[in-house]
Amino acid sequence: MTDRITRRGLVKGGTMLAGAAAGFGTFYGPWKHNRAYAQEGKPIKIGLTCDASGMYGASGRDELRGITMCIDEFNANGGVLGRKIEWITADTETNPATASRVAERFITREDCSILIGAIHSGVANAITQVAEKYGTIYLNSNSSAPTEAGENCSRIKFVWDGNGTNFTMSSVKAAVERVGKKWLLLTNDYVWGHETSDATRKLVEEAGGEIIDELLIPQNTRDFTSYLLKIQQISPEVVAPAVGGDDGKILRAQVAELGLDKQAAWVQSQQDWPDVWSAPDSIVGIFGTNWYHKLKLPGVDDFVKRWQARADADAIPVPGNVSYCGYTAMRETLRAIERAGSTNNIAIIKELEQLKIPAADRMQDYDAWMNPDTHHLQQTIYLARRNPNPVDDTDLYEIISASKPEDVIDPEEGKLCKLAPYEQIPTVDG
Amino acid sequence: MFNLIPFLINGLTLGLLFALIALGFMLIVGVMEQINLAHGSLFALGAYVAYALLGPPLPLPAGVGEWWAELPLGLRYVLALVVAPCIVGLLGILIEQGMRRTYGKDPLFGLLLTFGAAMVIEDVIRSIWGTRDYILPTPDAISGGFIALNLIWSTYRFFAAFAAFVFILLTWLLIERTRFGAVIKAGAHDSEMVRALGYDLAKLRIAVFAIGTMLAAAAGVIMAPIWGIRPHMGVDAVIPAFLIIVLGGVGSFWGAVIAGLMVGMVIGLTAAYASEWSLLSMYILLIVVVTFRARGLFGKKSILEA
Repeated sequence: MTDRITRRGLVKGGTMLAGAAAGFGTFYGPWKHNRAYAQEGKPIKIGLTCDASGMYGASGRDELRGITMCIDEFNANGGVLGRKIEWITADTETNPATASRVAERFITREDCSILIGAIHSGVANAITQVAEKYGTIYLNSNSSAPTEAGENCSRIKFVWDGNGTNFTMSSVKAAVERVGKKWLLLTNDYVWGHETSDATRKLVEEAGGEIIDELLIPQNTRDFTSYLLKIQQISPEVVAPAVGGDDGKILRAQVAELGLDKQAAWVQSQQDWPDVWSAPDSIVGIFGTNWYHKLKLPGVDDFVKRWQARADADAIPVPGNVSYCGYTAMRETLRAIERAGSTNNIAIIKELEQLKIPAADRMQDYDAWMNPDTHHLQQTIYLARRNPNPVDDTDLYEIISASKPEDVIDPEEGKLCKLAPYEQIPTVDG
Repeated sequence: MFNLIPFLINGLTLGLLFALIALGFMLIVGVMEQINLAHGSLFALGAYVAYALLGPPLPLPAGVGEWWAELPLGLRYVLALVVAPCIVGLLGILIEQGMRRTYGKDPLFGLLLTFGAAMVIEDVIRSIWGTRDYILPTPDAISGGFIALNLIWSTYRFFAAFAAFVFILLTWLLIERTRFGAVIKAGAHDSEMVRALGYDLAKLRIAVFAIGTMLAAAAGVIMAPIWGIRPHMGVDAVIPAFLIIVLGGVGSFWGAVIAGLMVGMVIGLTAAYASEWSLLSMYILLIVVVTFRARGLFGKKSILEA
C-alpha cells in the first residue's frame, strides 16, 4: 500500500480542513456580530434598562422619567434623521443577572440599537458585557462606580454621571484640613461602595488624614444599630459613608434619629435626589451632586417646568440629578446621531468621543466634555448640605461649592481604562 | 476590643423584633400547616395603612380628616396599632376563603395562591400609595435617642422590642392558656375528632388566619419607623420569617421565639466584629442547625426519622 498523495485526496482533505477551520473559526471567534436594523422610515429602537424595583428602584423610575421625556421631545420635533424613536423598558430589578437577560433580549429580540440606564454598578457592568458582545452602544446614565470608566470601561459604553472619586475629591481635602484627620469608612459591600471608599482612603491619606477603621455593610441591610454603636465606640472625627439606595436612606434616617451627625462630621460621596426626597428630615452632613433644580443657571427653570408638565402622579414634584442625567445622556446621544448623519454605532461613538457641552446647554456652572480615552463625561461637581433656609418644600439643598471638572478628574481612570480598537467592535446600524 | 455588652443588648432587641416578624407566619404554619407567602405583603400593607392614619390628612368627608389629623400623634399611633391590623385581618379572612379550597390537597396550591395574593397586594399598594418611600411619624415620647453606657440608643427601638415582647406574650397566652387555643391546637392534631366534638373547624381556621395576618400587620406598623415604608418592604420580612420558622422547627411557638432571638444575636454580634458577614450569618446559622438537626431546634420528630 502506497502513501501517495492523490489530487482527489488533496482536494478532499483540503475541503475538510477548510470546513474544520471555518467551523473552529466560527466557534472560537472573533465574535463579531454585524447587525443592520436601519431601514428608511423604520423607527430607531432604544432599550431602557432601568431598575424599577430593588435597592435602586426609586432612582431607576426617576431615571426613566428623564430618558422618556427626552425621547418624547425629540419625537415631537420629528425624531432623529427623520425617523421616530421607539423605546422599550423592562425592570432590571437592581440585579446584574436580570439586567444581563434584559439586555440580551433587548438586543437580540427587540432589535434595540442603543441601551441606556442603570444606577447599580453591578447592573451597569452586566449590561456592558452583553452590549459589548454585540457592539450595541450602552449609555451608563447614573452608575457612579469609578470602575465604570476605569477597568470596566468599554468602547461601546459612555458614562454620564460623576464618579465616586470625582465627588470625593471635591470634599475630602477640605474636610481633612478643617474638620479632622481621624476618618471611618462605611462601605456598601459591592463594587461602587468599595471603589468609592478606596478613592476616599487614598485622598484622605494624601491629605494627611488617617483611616482608623472601615465597616463593610452588606446590601439590603435594614438595621444599622450595631454599626452605629461601633462608630460611637471608635469615635472618629469624620465618617465617610459610601452606602447607596434603600440602604443609604435607612442609614441616614437612623443616624438623624440619634443625632449622630453632631458627634462626628458625615462626608458623603453622592446623594441621589429620589433617596433624599423620600426622607428629607434625615439629610446629614455634606454630600455631592451634579445637579440641583434650583441652580440659578440658564435653562434650569424651563427644564423643571417641562419635566413637571409630563410627570406622572407618582413622581417627585421636581426633577433631581438622576432624572437629569438620564435626560442629558439621551439628549447628547440623539444629537450625536444627528451630527453623524448616521445610526452606525462607530460613527456615533466617534461623535460622542468629541463631545463638548457648553455650561449653559448642560445647565451646570462649567463646560463639560467627554474624555475620549475613558468615555467618562467630565463635568461640574457640586457639594451640598441641608438647606437651613428653604424657600419651599423642595428646596432641600444648600449648594456650598461648585468644582470645575478639571479640578476633580479621577487620576486612576485613564491608567486603568483600555478601550478596544474600533476594528474590533461589531458594527451595528440601528 | 469593643465593649461587648452594648452589642448583646442590641442583639436581644433585634432578636425580639425578628421574633415579632415571624410570629404571624409561625401561627399559620404551626396551627394550619399552611405556608402563607403573602406574609411579607401583609406586613407591608400594615405599615401603609398605619401611614395613611398617621401621615397627611386622609381624603375623608368634610371635617372628618381634619378632626382626625388634629388628634394627638400619640393617640393616633396607638389607634393605628389597633386599626391597621384589624383592616389587614379582614383581608386575611378573604385570603383564607380562597385558601380553604386547597386544604388537604397538594401544598403547592396554597403556596401558589398566597404567592399570587402577595403580588396582588404589592401592586395594590403601588397603585394607591405609589412607588416612593415614606417615613412613619412617631410620637415624641418614643422618638429620638437616650444615653446609656456612654452611648446613644434609639428610644423607638426599645419601644419596638417591648411591643414585640408584649405581642409574643399575648400570642402565647392565646395559644396555651385559652380554650380557643386548646381547640385550634387540637384541630391541627386531629381535625376529625374536633369536628366530632361539635366545633366548627372552618370558623376556627378563619380566626387563626385572621390573627396570623393581624400579627403580620402589627409587625409592619412597629417596624415601619425603623425600616422605612416602600412597596417591596415585605420581601425584607418574609425571608427572615421563613428562615426563623425553619430554624426554630415548624409548629413550635418557642422554637420561633428562640430562633428569632438567636438570629438577632448572631446578626448583631457579627455586625460588630465581622460586619461584612452580618446578613450572611443568619443563613450560616440555619445551615449549621439544619445539618445536625434537620427538623429545626424544636421541630417535631418526623415518622421518617424513627
